[in-house]
Amino acid sequence: MTTRQPNALPATNEDTSGPYFPIAFADPALEDLTCVHPGVVGEASGTRIILRGRVLDRHGDLANGALLEFWQTNAKGIYRTPATEGDPAIDPWFHGYGRQRTATGAYEFRTIMPGAAPGRAPNITITVFSDGINRIVTQMFFADADGNDTDPVLKAAGADAPRLLARHDGRTAKGEEVYVFDIVMAGPDETPFFDDLES
Amino acid sequence: MTKQGRILGIGPTDNTSDQRTPRQPLRLIPEGVRDSFVPVVPATYRTGPHEWDLTRTAPGRPRAQGTAIEVTGTLRSESGRPVSHALIEIWNANTHGRYRHVEDHSGLQLDENFYGMGRVLTDAAGRYRFWTISPGAYLARPDIGRWRPKHIHLSVSGGSARLITQMYFPDEPNNASDPMAILMGDAFARNIGTPRDVNGADVDEAYDFDIVVGGRNATYFE
Repeated sequence: MTTRQPNALPATNEDTSGPYFPIAFADPALEDLTCVHPGVVGEASGTRIILRGRVLDRHGDLANGALLEFWQTNAKGIYRTPATEGDPAIDPWFHGYGRQRTATGAYEFRTIMPGAAPGRAPNITITVFSDGINRIVTQMFFADADGNDTDPVLKAAGADAPRLLARHDGRTAKGEEVYVFDIVMAGPDETPFFDDLES
Repeated sequence: MTKQGRILGIGPTDNTSDQRTPRQPLRLIPEGVRDSFVPVVPATYRTGPHEWDLTRTAPGRPRAQGTAIEVTGTLRSESGRPVSHALIEIWNANTHGRYRHVEDHSGLQLDENFYGMGRVLTDAAGRYRFWTISPGAYLARPDIGRWRPKHIHLSVSGGSARLITQMYFPDEPNNASDPMAILMGDAFARNIGTPRDVNGADVDEAYDFDIVVGGRNATYFE
């Protein structure tokens, strides 16, 4: 958790993105991580996957206008950060950060299967910004992956760990593996969300 | 004593907040995996040379209706380190309280000279500057007469620093009843721009708004 320095500056409050995050700020290069840009030769290494699902509110209705952000390792399990720059296992055509706004609340994100970081099961960090909330964050795992039984985040979710598992739903004609993952913002089937501030 | 994560507050009179706010306490991120929750946004973003001036849709075009304002500030982490070359995405309603967004069905008046979205980068010292039109307040809940106060949306992405926030204006009558402001409590004061002299700039009003990105998203390098 966060240990604040005694002389730390007071942080600006997070605030809701509201319903009108500009659609005009969409970047196609952040909506499909399998290539560096739709118009540029440069493919990410690894198994192509399509992650699709819905963002749902506490009534089970689609949460329209949500802004989703994704963060993951490359196929070799390396996060691309300043600390790993220069690591030979870095994939030059993969940075691991995705962003898309969903108008309806349904989403479809193209990427590659993340590799397992040391001590971890393969996962994708998902951040949701939307009207009515500031930011909620979770990590999504793959139902059929090695390492799920020992992953510290799945363990921390306890009995709710199955709500963090994406379900495999076959393969497209192009050979992409399809996974389905719904994010339930609130209600009986609420997705476990994570934070580093104590109450 | 067992450590427990925060329980998020629900904004009073905010239906969407009631529908979308998790009810369970947030789980504490396990020790040792904190970094895995911190995206590092690749600096592939770009901004047009005129996007800093939202008071016109393009250079040489007429000024939008309303009060032209300059907003300046410095982006820092909690330790005071400037966050340089970060992206700040800006969006705000026009002087009538209308967004130029296909999902704004309020019917309020559009302004043909106001686009209402722009992007700027912080400089090497973390400073930023933009011009826009002072946004109108708008009636968010006509059924109970609750307004959203004047506000400018700001989304910050810079390496591991990530924040979406809003700048409000001082002494606005609707500040006190805003659901998100109520949740912030006394800390709401940090989200209000500080009026200052325009210092000769071609605007009607000017505000300082320093931004501090806190929590795990600012701490990757520290």
